[in-house]
Amino acid sequence: MSDESEIRKENMISQIMNSPQPLPRRVPDYMRKKGGIWYWTGAMVMFAFFYEVITGLVLLFFYQPSNPFGSSEALVYNVPFGSIMLSTHLYGAYVMIALVYIHLLRNYFVGAYKKPREMQWITGVLLLVLTLGAAFFGYTMDGDVLAKAATSIGSTIAAGTPYIGNAVNAIFFGNGTALSLYSRLLGWHIVMVLLIGVLFAVHFFMAEYNTIMPRGKDVNYRAPAVDTDKPEYKPWYPHNLAFMMELFFIVVAAIVLIPSVFALWPSIPVVFSPFPASPTVIANTPPWFLLFVYKELDFNFASTLLNPFWDTVLFVGAPLLYLLIIPYLDRSSSLMLSDRWIFVALGVTGVVYLVGLSTWAFVYGVLQPTMIVPNYQVAIFFFVPAVLIFLFTYLVRNSIHLNKLKLKRPEVLFTIVGLMGFFSVVSGILIYESYVLHDAYALPGMAAMLTITAILAVISVAIILGIFNPGYSGDTVLATPKTRIIAASMFGALSLFIAIEVSFIKPDSPTNNAYYGIGLAMILLAVAGIIRIYRGESLGE
Amino acid sequence: MDLGDKKDIKNDTKSEVREPSVKDSGRRSFIKMMGVLAVGAGLAVSLRGLVQSIIPASVGVTSFPDLTLVDQSGNPITTDSLKVNDYTIVLFNYPLQNEPNFLLRLGDANGNDVEIPSITVHNPDGSSFTSPGGKGPYKSVVASSAICEHLGCTPPNIRFYPPTMTGPFAGKIHCDCHGSTYDPYKGFQVVTGPTVLALPNVVMTYDNGNYKVSNMVGPTIHGHPTDLTGGNPLSSTTSTAIYTLS
Ligand code: FES
Repeated sequence: MSDESEIRKENMISQIMNSPQPLPRRVPDYMRKKGGIWYWTGAMVMFAFFYEVITGLVLLFFYQPSNPFGSSEALVYNVPFGSIMLSTHLYGAYVMIALVYIHLLRNYFVGAYKKPREMQWITGVLLLVLTLGAAFFGYTMDGDVLAKAATSIGSTIAAGTPYIGNAVNAIFFGNGTALSLYSRLLGWHIVMVLLIGVLFAVHFFMAEYNTIMPRGKDVNYRAPAVDTDKPEYKPWYPHNLAFMMELFFIVVAAIVLIPSVFALWPSIPVVFSPFPASPTVIANTPPWFLLFVYKELDFNFASTLLNPFWDTVLFVGAPLLYLLIIPYLDRSSSLMLSDRWIFVALGVTGVVYLVGLSTWAFVYGVLQPTMIVPNYQVAIFFFVPAVLIFLFTYLVRNSIHLNKLKLKRPEVLFTIVGLMGFFSVVSGILIYESYVLHDAYALPGMAAMLTITAILAVISVAIILGIFNPGYSGDTVLATPKTRIIAASMFGALSLFIAIEVSFIKPDSPTNNAYYGIGLAMILLAVAGIIRIYRGESLGE
Repeated sequence: MDLGDKKDIKNDTKSEVREPSVKDSGRRSFIKMMGVLAVGAGLAVSLRGLVQSIIPASVGVTSFPDLTLVDQSGNPITTDSLKVNDYTIVLFNYPLQNEPNFLLRLGDANGNDVEIPSITVHNPDGSSFTSPGGKGPYKSVVASSAICEHLGCTPPNIRFYPPTMTGPFAGKIHCDCHGSTYDPYKGFQVVTGPTVLALPNVVMTYDNGNYKVSNMVGPTIHGHPTDLTGGNPLSSTTSTAIYTLS
C-alpha cells in the first residue's frame, strides 16, 4: 500500500506512458458477482456509445442536409430496415444519456470524485455536457416539428449571448437558410461525437490509472480508495470479457427493444415517438432529456428578468459548476454517506429537481399548453423539497451516528423517497385539477403519477429488505449442471426459432420492422442469457 | 521505476557530458516557457482563422423592398378577398422567405370592420415604437410578423382568435408554446408574457385598391440579426403572395 502511494506521487502522464499497467486491469471477483453491475456503469455507457457510432455511420449514407425531413422519412418508409436504424440510433442516444446520468449519480454518491479521481470526475462532467450537446444536434437534424421547436429555442439562447450573440448563433445554426442550418447541425453532431471519443479515451485511461474504485469496506471508507492487484484476481480473459459481453448484449437488446415496442404503440406521446413527428402534429416539446431546461424558461421571474441565455446559464450552468468543483468542496477523506450528509442531501435534491422539472414540463407542456409559472409556485417547487430533504437526511444521519439505524444503499433509498414525495404532490395537484377544474388530462395524469409512486414504494421496501444488496443470493435456479444445460439449449433453440420466424417478415414498413426489432432483441437477450450460463458453468461465477 | 529527469542525472553520470545545462532548472523552465509561448501564439493565430472561417456569410437583402400583395395566381389582392375576423391563418413572407407575416382584416364581435388607429406601443422591456395603424377602405387591415417574439414559434402554434369566438383569447393573437398573447387592435402590443416584445408591425400602403408592403417597424423579427438578414431573399422583387394555413 505504501509502495503504491509512493508511485502515485508521480504525475499521471508519466505513469501511463512510461510504465504502462496491464490493460485493462484485473478486478476483484465481487465486481462480477451480484450487484457488481454498479462497477460497470461506465462500460455500459461505452457500449451504447459504440452502438451509436456504428448506426450513425450507416445513417450518414442517407442523410441529406438539403432535404432533412424528406430524407428521414424516406429512410423510415422506403429503406429496408431503415426505421430500425433510425429509431434505434435515437433510442441508443436515450439509453446512453440515461446511463450517463446513472453513472454520474452512482459515482457521486459513493464519493468517487475524491482523491485520486478528481480529474477523472471533471472529464466525466465535461463528457456529460458533450453527450447532451451531441444529442441536441442529432435530435434536431431530422427537421421535423420537434426539431424545429428545438432549433428555434437553441438559437434564441445562442443569440442571447452578450455582445457576440449573432456570431454564436451563426456559428451553431447558420445564416438563416435551411441548408446552412442543417449542414451545421450535421457538422456539429459529428464534431461533438468526435470530442466525446477523444475525451472518453482520456477518461478511460484515467480510470485504468486510478483503478476501478473498490467497495468502501475494503478501504475503510477512506479516500484515496485504490484497488491493488492481488494474485488471486482472475485474468481478464475469459472472466471479465465474458461478463462484458453479457452486459454488451443486454445494453444493445434494450436499445433495439424499447423503440420497437414503442413503434407499435399507436398513440404514443410525441416526445417518446421513435420516428420523426409528422408535420401536421402541433407540438412544442424539446427532447425528454432537455425538458428541465425548457421548463425554467416558463418561470415568471426568469422570463421577465432574464433572457433565455441567462436563464440557461443560471439553471444549467450553476448545477454544472457545482459538479465541476465538488471534488474541491467535499475534501474530507471519508467515503461514509453519514459523514457527507450535506453532499448527499444536495445530490438527492438535485435529482428531485431534475426529475421534477422534467415531469412538470411534460405534464403541463406536452399534455396541455403551458402557461407562465408564477413566482410563488417556483419558490415552493425549489424550497419545499430542499428543506424536507435536508431535514430528513440530517435526522437519518444523526440516528446513524447514534447507532440507532443501519442502512444499506441509503443514497438510492433517499432519492426514491424524494421522488415519491414529488410524485405524490403532483398527483395531489392533479386530483384538484380533475375534480375542481374538470380537466380532462388530469385523471390519466394522476393515475400515472400514483402508479409511479407505488412502484417507487415497492422499490424502497425492497431496498430496506436488502434485496438489491450485493451478496443477496436469490439465484439458485442455475445451480446444477443439468439446469444449465436445459436452460442453455432452450435459449439456443429459442434464438434459432426466432431467427427463422423473423426472416419471414418483409422489411417494408415500420410496423414490420418493429416486429423484426423485437425478435432481434429477444435473440440478443438469449445470447446474454447463454453467456450468463456459460459463466456459471465454466467460470464458476 | 523511472521517475523522470532528476533521477536520471543522479544515476547516469554520462548525462552531464551529453547535456550539461540540464542541471540548471531555471534555464530549463525558461525554455519550457518559451515553448508554451510559441505554442500559444500559434494557437491564437489558428483560432482566429478558425472562428472567422466558420462564421457563415450573412444572407438577405440590403433594403426593404416595395412589394404588392398578390394571391396565388399573381393577381393583386382586394379588400373583398379578405374575410373580416377570419380564423383561417393568412400569411405572406416579407422581407425574406423565412419571415412569415399575418394579414388580418379586423372586425368587432358583430363582424363589422374596425378602424385601427396608429398608436405608440410600449413594450414590457421599456422600448416603444409607433404602430402604422390599419389600411384599406375601412382602415381595418393590419399585418405583423407571425414569428412569436418569445422563442420563435410559428403558425399554427401562434394564431389569431377572432373576437367572434369565445374564450380568453378572443380578439387576440395567442402563442400556444408558452402562452404569450398580443393585441392586433393595438399595434400587436403584449397582453401577457413571457414575451417582452410586441410583434413587429408590417408597414402597408393602400393605393388604387391594391395593398403594398414597404417596411417593418417595432422590434427585430425574432431569430434574425436584423429584419433584412438571416434568410434567403424573396423570389420576386415586385410582389409577395399570400397563402393560408387552416
Ligand atoms: S414562443 Fe411564443 S410564447 Fe414562447
